[in-house]
Amino acid sequence: MTFRLTCPVCGKRDIREFTFGGQERGPRPEQPGLSAEEHFRWVQFRMIPGAGAEAGAGAEDAGAPAGGRADTRREWWYHGQGCGVWFRTTRDPMTNREVEGGGGQG
Amino acid sequence: MAVGRVDVGSGSPESRGRREGSLPPGRLTPGPTCRVDFSWPLAFRFLGRSMTGFAGDTVASALYANGVRVFGRSLKYHRPRGLYSMEGESSNTLMEIDGVPNECAETTELREGMSVRAQNVRGDPKTDRFAFIDAFDRLMPAGFYYRLFHRPYGLWPLFQNGLRRMAGTGVLDPRRELEGGGRGRSGTRGRAGVGAGGGARADGGSRANGVQAERYLNAAVAVIGGGPAGMAAALAAAESGMRVCLFERRRWLGGHLAWRAREFAGEPIHRRGEGLAALLLSRSRAAGLVKVFTSSPVTGVWGENLVTGFTVGGEDHPFRECHWECRAKVVVVASGCMERPLVFNHNDRPGVMQAGTAWRLARTHAVSPGKVAVFSVADDLSLEVAVDLADLGVEVRAVADAREVGRQDPPLVAALEERGIPLLTGWAVSRSIGRRWVTGCELRAVNGSGSRRLRCDLLVANAGWQPRIGALATAGARLAYCTHTHTFQPAELPDGVFTAGSLTGLRDPRSIEASGRLAGSRAAEWCSGAAPRLATAPRECESLPAPEPGCDIRHGPAIGRGAKAFVDLDEDGTYKNVVESAVQGFDVPELAKRFGGFGLGPGQYRVTGQNLAMIMADLGGDPVEAASPTTVRPPLVPPSLATLAGPGHDVHKRTPLHGELAARGAVFRRAGPWQRARYFGADPRLAPGVDRGSVGGRRSGRGSAKIGRGSADADCGGAKASRGSAEAGRGSAKAGRGLRDEILNVRRNVGLLDSSPLGKFRIFGPDALRALQRVYISDLSKARPGRCKYSAMCNDMAHVLDDGAIIQDSERNYYFTTSSGRAGSTVEWFRYHTRHDGWDYHLVNLTDAFGSINLAGPNARGVLERVTGDDVSNEAFPYMGCRRITLGGVEVRCLRLGFVGELSYELHVPSSYCQFVWGQLMDAGADLGIRPFGLEAQYCLRAEKGHVIVGAESEARVTLTDLGMGWLWDREDTASKKVGAPALRACEKQPGRMKLVGFRVEEGAGSGGPGSPRDGALVVDGGEIVGYVCTTRRSEVLGWQYGMALVREGHAVRGDRIRIREDGGRGGRATWSATVVDPPFYDPAGERLRA
Repeated sequence: MTFRLTCPVCGKRDIREFTFGGQERGPRPEQPGLSAEEHFRWVQFRMIPGAGAEAGAGAEDAGAPAGGRADTRREWWYHGQGCGVWFRTTRDPMTNREVEGGGGQG
Repeated sequence: MAVGRVDVGSGSPESRGRREGSLPPGRLTPGPTCRVDFSWPLAFRFLGRSMTGFAGDTVASALYANGVRVFGRSLKYHRPRGLYSMEGESSNTLMEIDGVPNECAETTELREGMSVRAQNVRGDPKTDRFAFIDAFDRLMPAGFYYRLFHRPYGLWPLFQNGLRRMAGTGVLDPRRELEGGGRGRSGTRGRAGVGAGGGARADGGSRANGVQAERYLNAAVAVIGGGPAGMAAALAAAESGMRVCLFERRRWLGGHLAWRAREFAGEPIHRRGEGLAALLLSRSRAAGLVKVFTSSPVTGVWGENLVTGFTVGGEDHPFRECHWECRAKVVVVASGCMERPLVFNHNDRPGVMQAGTAWRLARTHAVSPGKVAVFSVADDLSLEVAVDLADLGVEVRAVADAREVGRQDPPLVAALEERGIPLLTGWAVSRSIGRRWVTGCELRAVNGSGSRRLRCDLLVANAGWQPRIGALATAGARLAYCTHTHTFQPAELPDGVFTAGSLTGLRDPRSIEASGRLAGSRAAEWCSGAAPRLATAPRECESLPAPEPGCDIRHGPAIGRGAKAFVDLDEDGTYKNVVESAVQGFDVPELAKRFGGFGLGPGQYRVTGQNLAMIMADLGGDPVEAASPTTVRPPLVPPSLATLAGPGHDVHKRTPLHGELAARGAVFRRAGPWQRARYFGADPRLAPGVDRGSVGGRRSGRGSAKIGRGSADADCGGAKASRGSAEAGRGSAKAGRGLRDEILNVRRNVGLLDSSPLGKFRIFGPDALRALQRVYISDLSKARPGRCKYSAMCNDMAHVLDDGAIIQDSERNYYFTTSSGRAGSTVEWFRYHTRHDGWDYHLVNLTDAFGSINLAGPNARGVLERVTGDDVSNEAFPYMGCRRITLGGVEVRCLRLGFVGELSYELHVPSSYCQFVWGQLMDAGADLGIRPFGLEAQYCLRAEKGHVIVGAESEARVTLTDLGMGWLWDREDTASKKVGAPALRACEKQPGRMKLVGFRVEEGAGSGGPGSPRDGALVVDGGEIVGYVCTTRRSEVLGWQYGMALVREGHAVRGDRIRIREDGGRGGRATWSATVVDPPFYDPAGERLRA
């Protein structure tokens, strides 16, 4: 499978120029009072297709998908073979493609 | 423009040596579509016999012309197999050509001096010694390899060995390298990638470094297939201003038109193809919008219309095969059709072939396919073949057509009648007769009402045509059974994919061409959003003949009665095996495929797919429209693995001092992207024979072979220490002497290390400190000008990633170092962990801009004082200090660190001055005996000091506190949200963690042995494994064997005696006793660093 991503600086480029930075799970939690459980949830837990938003993720793509279809994902990508920017994009895991207008946000 | 060779038309008949009476044996008078040049003979050998073919032959056509009928033996039953297809659809003709196994004889061009051998045979394929296996088919039912040979279990190794010897096709010679392009008759270089529209590789380089090449293409429209539809589509798209790449698997354009001599619409059909090809090539030359790639099979279509494939290099190409990838906006699939095999009894016997195979042997290669032929077909094109072969002098005894009366094209029926060829409508072949090849056949009415036996030496059989759906299927088209054409057709096409040509069921040449024009203009429309310029195309298509109805015959009459009828030739999958699979419950094609192996062979889906699906539907009692194809998997046509591996170029970095080190006899090894000096082996000042004992004991060479990996790749201790042991073993005696001297020279005198790959960074800006505080575990607000602050980076699981020194240069402006292995990912790491914060800082990677020279040893200051006027005394420049000093006019940054455990200065020098500074230091220390040392010496020196290398003494289970480096962690700071701090807090007190401990191996009787333990040895407590040795060496200065191990907490407390064990190897099991001691082993008080 291959697809392209829209880098906010360089435009549409081949996937092999990028590295994956995981799903968007919100900013690093504040540390005072942070339990180990909460921390590891933030580090390890991911959205599961059809399971809705994972608790504590602060994900923007909350909400259970209709009809059991995998929802679109908000993800971080790094343009390592290009300009070196981390950016967010929204992809459909069923087709791997970026959702229209979802790409290219720093 | 053309990257593959392009044969337009077929040249003048004169050049073909067309002299009646002088034809070579087995050849026909060449017609206008012949591509063989009889004036150019090529000698080759088959099984040691000399044979002659001609330029333009494939290996298969040349063998056939020389009377070879049995090309090889089948995989399971060792049945004789002959020439069945012409495009590599079956594996019958996979042969060993010039020592390369599994080459497809059908598509490989014949070259002078080739040596061809049959595969899967013992001896001559005609008289294979394993032929008897065919009689034991009852022992090999469907899925037998899953069900037999399991009991008694003890005999399995015996079975396994036998099966291993029997199974598989071809034997690879690992010592053999593939030849380059231009592998033919002369050393002519010719036009390398001639005018290939940019991007063609300079041939010199690719030729020198390897024979495989790669290309990356971009196009608006990619057309798959260079037949009439594909060419028309390319022309139409180019007319609308689109950039087009057209890929054709054959050497020439024209598709099925290329060998059809029949008159159609006033001219021979092949002329039409030649006309289109000439027009396309002239367009491509004129406007540069079209690129034509011949000899270029497509291997798959991937996401967002990435078309991949490869080009087979010809005489004048610099490559053997060139892998390419074409990113296109639109793909037009015009991949055409292939014949659907008719499954009947003994349908694998040599002499049974596709209609197209017989036709192309005669028309393309002027080879007589046989003397007496019988046809069993199910479509009009095959009837045309019968008429055409009869005209070429083949006696056609009968033509059976599985379709009912009235479905045939009337002019063809008339043509058969004219030639006195009986046409049996509603009949099909039920079995072939003969031993090693066909001597006759039995025809039966499809409804079973009669039978006839005929003598023949050629049996042309098919069940009509099936589209080549591979490219469509990999592009993601959903396929469904079409009850009109009786083929699988796309029910739904992905975005930006169009189809054209006979693939869609069209048979009329005009319709096929018009469908191409329509697809091309639609493709252009899709790309540009503009109105199509060929507005007449849709109407044109409507006025022309639509797809013709197909034939749904599943198999020949009276199937399976005491005979094998093959559904899959490659894997010897018979009709009976399909029934067995269904009976066992594997009753859908995808399951039967796994169980019985149908379609798992080299032919993959291509030949087997549709028949298997139709037969499975029948067996399940389903209507045929419920048939579902098995998944098509790339590569659709197999490229060689060497092509996928790509050119053998090793891209590495050299330090600015590479030349200096090489001149001193450095032995290099790859460390991350760098070539680094391991040790200096050829130093003329080495005193040979002074001391045979090597520093690391008898295995030092092996153990230290892992040095270069250092922290570049974290592997678990020395588990892989034996990697490359042959190389290291050979070098160890030499390395041992040199290494010992290198180490002692640093400990007692002064040495120089090229540590240039060390990561060097500058970070500045208002939020620079916040970023540093985020990723480093220590409190970096304490970093001060002129002082090195040592710290480490962890990940979110508190595992140590890296360590280094941080120096504040000025307000909001810092300089820091990372280990060599982390230099490449540091920018990514910083930016990732600050990605939500919007902080204002700049991070500059200075790794390549500055080299690094480490001057170490008790005499280091003495040397430095000779080359600089700056005060480098212990008072002015203490341990952990950082100064800018000037050496011979060059200002360098000097860090006083002690990684190797001696007084040492790390000089960060602008890369272009590195050689100069190195020379200054070497000259200044010459009388003291200064000498360079390599990575291996550094590895031992730092280990004596107990300094950890991330990846050598740490692994993915080990945290900062486990390594005993918890003192680096600033526990109070929660505001900067340090990466790893919450995890450190959580697991700091966790019981049972792995902890890093030092040990001293006991010597003398009772300790164990033989020899000394190696990196990666196990630490055992009773019978339990409680840890492993990370690094262990024998120290020359200490006089004993020390080491560091990761051991489960509680099993190794200071003063404990531990057992170290090594399993396997020549010595079997060996154990040693060791005492747990605290590192550092050398200079525990650190006095030498501060001297």
